[in-house]
Amino acid sequence: MGTWLRRLAYLFRQSRHEADLRDEIEAHRSLRAAHLEREGLTSQAAAAASRRAVGNAFLAREDAREVWLGSWATWWQDIRYGVRTFRKSPTFTAVAVLTLGLGIGVNAGIFTVLNGVLFRDLPAPNAQELVSIQQTVERGTFTATTGSGSFTMSEYRQYRDRARTLSGVLAHSDPRETTLGGETPQEVFGAIVSCNYFTVLQVPPALGRALTEEDCEPGADPVVVLGHGPWTTAFAADPWILGRAIELDRRRFTVVGVAAEGTYGGSPMRAGYFAPVSAEPLLWPGASRYADDTNRWLYLVGRRRDGVVLAQVRAELGVIAAQIDQQQPGRSTTLAIDRATPMTVPSQARGAAMGASAVLMAAFGLILLIACANVANLLLARGTTRSQEIGIRVSLGASRARVLRQLMTESMLIAVAGGLLGSVLALWSFQALVTLALPVALPPEVPAFAFALDFRPDYRVLAFAIALTFGTGLLFGVAPALHASKSDLSALMKQDAPGSGSSRLGGRLRGTLVGVQVALSMVLMIAAGLLLRGLYATYTVDPGFAYRDVSYLSFGTDYGPATVLNQRLMDEVEALPGVDAVAFAAQTPLGESSMGGAVRLPGRGENEQRFAEWDEVTPGYFSLLQIPIVRGRSFTEAEGANAAPDADVRPVIISQTTARNFWGEGDPIGRTLLRDDIARKVVVTLQVVGVAADAQLSALGTINPYYIYEPRRPGGVLLVKHRADFRATASSIRALVRARDPSLAFRVLRLEENVAWWRGVSGAITILGAGLGVLALVLASVGIYGVVSYSVARRYREIGIRLALGARAPTVLGMILRQTMRPVMVGAIIGVVAAGAVSRILSGVLFGVSPADPIGLGGATLFVLAVALVSGAIATRPVTGADPLAALRYE
Amino acid sequence: MAKDRSDVLQGTLDMLVLKALQLEPMHGWGITERIEHWSEQVLQLGQGTLYTALYRLERQDFIRSEWLVTDNNRRARYYSLTVRGRRHLTASLAQWRRMSRAVNLVLDVTTVS
Amino acid sequence: MGLTNIASDLLPGTLELLILKSLVSGPKHGYAIVEHLRVTSRDVLYVGESALYPALQRLLLNGWARAEWGLSETNRRARYYKLTPAGRKQLAGERAGFERMVRAIQHVLDAT
Repeated sequence: MGTWLRRLAYLFRQSRHEADLRDEIEAHRSLRAAHLEREGLTSQAAAAASRRAVGNAFLAREDAREVWLGSWATWWQDIRYGVRTFRKSPTFTAVAVLTLGLGIGVNAGIFTVLNGVLFRDLPAPNAQELVSIQQTVERGTFTATTGSGSFTMSEYRQYRDRARTLSGVLAHSDPRETTLGGETPQEVFGAIVSCNYFTVLQVPPALGRALTEEDCEPGADPVVVLGHGPWTTAFAADPWILGRAIELDRRRFTVVGVAAEGTYGGSPMRAGYFAPVSAEPLLWPGASRYADDTNRWLYLVGRRRDGVVLAQVRAELGVIAAQIDQQQPGRSTTLAIDRATPMTVPSQARGAAMGASAVLMAAFGLILLIACANVANLLLARGTTRSQEIGIRVSLGASRARVLRQLMTESMLIAVAGGLLGSVLALWSFQALVTLALPVALPPEVPAFAFALDFRPDYRVLAFAIALTFGTGLLFGVAPALHASKSDLSALMKQDAPGSGSSRLGGRLRGTLVGVQVALSMVLMIAAGLLLRGLYATYTVDPGFAYRDVSYLSFGTDYGPATVLNQRLMDEVEALPGVDAVAFAAQTPLGESSMGGAVRLPGRGENEQRFAEWDEVTPGYFSLLQIPIVRGRSFTEAEGANAAPDADVRPVIISQTTARNFWGEGDPIGRTLLRDDIARKVVVTLQVVGVAADAQLSALGTINPYYIYEPRRPGGVLLVKHRADFRATASSIRALVRARDPSLAFRVLRLEENVAWWRGVSGAITILGAGLGVLALVLASVGIYGVVSYSVARRYREIGIRLALGARAPTVLGMILRQTMRPVMVGAIIGVVAAGAVSRILSGVLFGVSPADPIGLGGATLFVLAVALVSGAIATRPVTGADPLAALRYE
Repeated sequence: MAKDRSDVLQGTLDMLVLKALQLEPMHGWGITERIEHWSEQVLQLGQGTLYTALYRLERQDFIRSEWLVTDNNRRARYYSLTVRGRRHLTASLAQWRRMSRAVNLVLDVTTVS
Repeated sequence: MGLTNIASDLLPGTLELLILKSLVSGPKHGYAIVEHLRVTSRDVLYVGESALYPALQRLLLNGWARAEWGLSETNRRARYYKLTPAGRKQLAGERAGFERMVRAIQHVLDAT
């Protein structure tokens, strides 16, 4: 107890105490000198002998301080000393802190993005208890890819009723674009959910009540919980909304509650409404998925019970899955159960998503590494200039460990300053980036405000930033600190510090750092170059269909009754001035939706099915989009008009690649394919009547291995080919549609925008990559220049001597430059090899990126060498041709 | 300040271990026993402390170790002094005697100087 | 001798103990303590500043001694350390324990 009081007292008057100690030791010394004098030494010798204890005094004071304040005292001392040294060289400090700030900031920024998308918890209380449950079902060799990860209604019921490790399991559908009726009909994204949704999430509604089990009984009155957004925008936050009826896709629903703001809707999109599963048949045209036992459309989220761990959940649900498997021979289910995150990434895509994130983080990490190498170099250079100061400390008795600690503390100071700067930069610029980037990243049909992703930094981002800061501090600090602490007085006593033996190791270290920097920058530069090439490719690739001057009407999912979308509308639109052709399709080319199903050759079994992408089109589709029919014919008008969803035999047109995959070079015309219609339990025969050229309809740059077109009656998405002015055409079309039905919500868009969006995404990535490459270039150039010019400058003396001895300037310079270029060359070679590997990875992930070719690699190498040479030339300028004595005097 | 637990300094500990091995090679546990016995239980060596010391001594080539079979047919690591170790022990013993005699002189002096 | 910390090679806290003992015979300044130890140990113990002063600070921290500025015998300013009652108690208690430890070690060393 008394000790602590005394410690406080000491702290209070620390400076006075330290002054006292200094005086005391001084007095001790003079007393000893006096004693030695008495013993016979001359006063000079006595004083000298006494003074020789000078080193110990330093240590004594430090140890004494530690007695009172613990080891914190020395840390604090180191920090104060470090700050003082930095203040003396402001340029160095500024450059180092800025470089690091850039590196750390950029990494923190990208991590925040990834965090918001991939790692965050759901916006619900106790969100860490929530788990997402996904399944992959295999039957033989056939694995369904549509609706991957999702479950059928009956499968959901089994998990819900049987899981004991979970206190509740909810189900939700994909977000659905629905027309909310009213004066101005608008599109909202809503979810169809199980009736325990709000209970399991533990998010009570803001108004009224949540869904209950009665709402989910078959035949129950259609009710809905309105989303907070539409309630405020479309209904002006009307407190009397409860009990009122609203129209969703023209069906009446009674509002029983309003969800709290920010309630999770099963996806990163803001939920416009929550409808019970029993109401699903009202909102989904065609066969109802609710009653259909074979349709997989529900995503499951469960809440772990208290004290239950993930492994137990996995075990129990695995048993349930096995039991379900047993009921269907040949079926095998794999479950993926993980902590629930806002982005439900289908388990197959999870690998790709993780891969893409890894690539992204690696790229940014490289920038940071280059920045570290730069700062390390700076520190090394500074270490040499401080060697005198350090040598004195060592001879005063400071152990090497202590000097090391001092230097590491200084490095940490830089790191912390850089980390703070970088984090602030990241937070600041980040909001701006997201606002800019989001519209680019979303398809034209999705409004940007519909996203509810939370990108605010949370503890994970903070932890990441801190870890990064200390990691970089260690990384760039260790080597220079170790090197600098080796200085001792003996080396200093020889007055010619530069160019002497002790710095040979320093030179090697610096050279290695340069080599590392060069290698890293080359990788980044080459990667950026590849991305730019890829961008060029996407801009010039031909998607295989004509997209200019083509517009389309998007009705959302409110397909509207046949009274509007029919042959008459087609004729009327076609008759408009400036319109060349009209067609209907189920899908928008390069749009966001996709249809697919399994087909097989006759005589083959279920396990030899192939997954095909699908579209249903009117006969004029191909000529409108200028997709040539290379074999056979297009659909006839009759086939289009008579198309029925329950026909057992249908004509189809397949893509070239499909034909090749099924029948090789043989003629596919007249051949058949079979499709199992599981809902109606019949086998549909598809007869090939024509082969269309390949078109990149689902994704720019990809040709589907299997693509099938069926004929359809008018309906779906209306494609219009027009001449010239889009605006005039669009308003005429709008007028036409409104005249028929004023309550339809639709948009007229240009097909070009879809193509542009696809290009835009890769464009964004490319610009990002190119930006990184430029950044890397700048950092590396600065680093290379610094090192080359420094190592040349240190040899001025040597140059001067050689010149004085009669060597010719070019020879001497050539020799110097050759030696300094060596690490650069080594780095370049390593960089090229590494870049080769990286480009192979990139070409797998991004479209249009081919493994690097010699031009790209050669170009990057030349650039790096050029920078190094120029730096060397600039550095040797003071010495070239000049008076050798000037070089000697140049210190 | 040193209490009844064996708060011995590194150098002193090393010396004790070497002394314990002076007679004959011994395994780790035996060394502890010997020291505890000879000091009449005043000095208690923890396992960690002992093995750190053994490792240190082996690294400086003062002792060497080999695997042998004990009386009850178990394998144990036996430590023995090297020539260097013996020399170091002799030097340490002399140093210690000098030091402890000096300290005793100081602690026992009662007259005012 | 050189400037070495021989005393603390025995056991932790040896130096503090020695300093306390040297203060029994009256307050002393740092150099006087060094001299006292040297003389009474017949020139074996020589404590350097880097060991002495931290040890003195420890004494102050634990309240075993008090320090005051005064004039030395040569009329120079010097800081004198004086034993406190707590210090006396500490000395008495520690000394017994210390002797026991040393004796125990000696037994080990004398064993044959």
